[in-house]
Amino acid sequence: MADTPATATPSSVRALALLLAREFRTEFRTRSLLASQGLFAATSVIALALGSRALPHNETFQRFALSAIWVCVLFAAVVGLNRSALAERERGLNTSFRLLPVDPAVLYTVRLCSALAFLIVTEVIIFALGALLLDVNALADPLIPAIILLADIGFLAPGVLLATATSEVRGGEALLAVALIPLTIPVLAGAIGAWDALGAGLGFAGAQPYVLLLGCCAAMFLALGLLLYGKLSE
Amino acid sequence: MPQPNPTSNRSFIIALALAVVGLIGAQIGMYLAYRYAPTQISTGSLFVVAPDPGVSSFNLYESYRIFFTHLPSAYTTAVCCGLMLLGGVMWLLMRKPFWDHLTVAAAEVGLVAGALTLLTGAIWAKYSWGTYWNWEPRLTTMLVLWLAFAALIALRAALPPGQKRGILTAVYGILASPLYPLVHWAVEIGSGSHPKSFSYLLTAPEITVTKNVATWGIIPLFVAIVFVRLMWRNVNHALEVERAA
Repeated sequence: MADTPATATPSSVRALALLLAREFRTEFRTRSLLASQGLFAATSVIALALGSRALPHNETFQRFALSAIWVCVLFAAVVGLNRSALAERERGLNTSFRLLPVDPAVLYTVRLCSALAFLIVTEVIIFALGALLLDVNALADPLIPAIILLADIGFLAPGVLLATATSEVRGGEALLAVALIPLTIPVLAGAIGAWDALGAGLGFAGAQPYVLLLGCCAAMFLALGLLLYGKLSE
Repeated sequence: MPQPNPTSNRSFIIALALAVVGLIGAQIGMYLAYRYAPTQISTGSLFVVAPDPGVSSFNLYESYRIFFTHLPSAYTTAVCCGLMLLGGVMWLLMRKPFWDHLTVAAAEVGLVAGALTLLTGAIWAKYSWGTYWNWEPRLTTMLVLWLAFAALIALRAALPPGQKRGILTAVYGILASPLYPLVHWAVEIGSGSHPKSFSYLLTAPEITVTKNVATWGIIPLFVAIVFVRLMWRNVNHALEVERAA
């Protein structure tokens, strides 16, 4: 028997678009996630610049600053994931989402895409401040934005999965950092290595092993996220 | 309703057999490492890294004997990653406590084996590279794997018993286990100083025999410890169920 319009299951693409629009609308109204994530990121970079103001801005400093900025990005991602998971738990959305007639992989993709969009906005703040205060140039090579995107997926793909799992237990905010950071160190190492190689003018050939590492981590975590997200709601 | 015996005779016999094989094998392996394997084969045949043309080679002398502990520990870490993955996947499919216990027992033994790998590696690095630690890709990825084992145990300890704890343990075990291929692959990234392979470094037949005996002694010993931890967790679980009833 064909579904009536009232009970028809929306296609995955339409469900994805609708849910993603809802995520952005909610954030546009409350601005809670961007405010906390953005403020955390800005404060971290300013504190870093303040702490290192007496150091000469030579090549060694540039490499240190680049690593420190990536650590800020990782921690900002953790703050954002925690904030988003906490907000959804408070509104009881975890249970509501489970009742939706859509594939759990679609829900995972929605959460990943929204977290990615908010992290990219935060990174604009981080890298703008980094350029201003620490002389870190995110536009030194046209491949750097691609590196940033791959690293973001590498951070957020396991992050969304673990944030959803830890949000429902007491003290889950602290647990997310404990669980996520060891897993994402290879992503951090890949992002820093690739950017370092590109910044040193070695081109794609020099950055290739790190790009490969980033790509492998991002693909592996993404695949596992899509496969396992549904298991969290059982 | 009577609970099934968590420490069945079969599990106990397997653990005992592995422990006996492991203890004997490890003892023979260590004896061969210090009494049978030669100090050096010929000058210039034992390289820390393949020397550049014109650079004099560096001989390992006695220092390489630590490899007979270092290598089997590293292989055990790989086995533990495999068991963690198996435990995680099977728990998600079958939801039986056995698989949950296997995941966490493998992580616990992986933590010990990983620590032994890092420690023996650091001791050798001090002799060979002049420093206990450098941020070489193989070392870094091994440390990351060790941190992941520690994170799984910490995560589990922070959660109350129940379905959520089982899900989180299984998911984390599955996410962390692909880190071992990364450790394996790490020597290909960048210009690391870690030797690419044992056989590439040391080709004498006595060394190969010693390495094989040590490996097939130490790995069963660690797997026996996984079994013991698994049985201990099964007993605890049975007691918890009984108390709840």
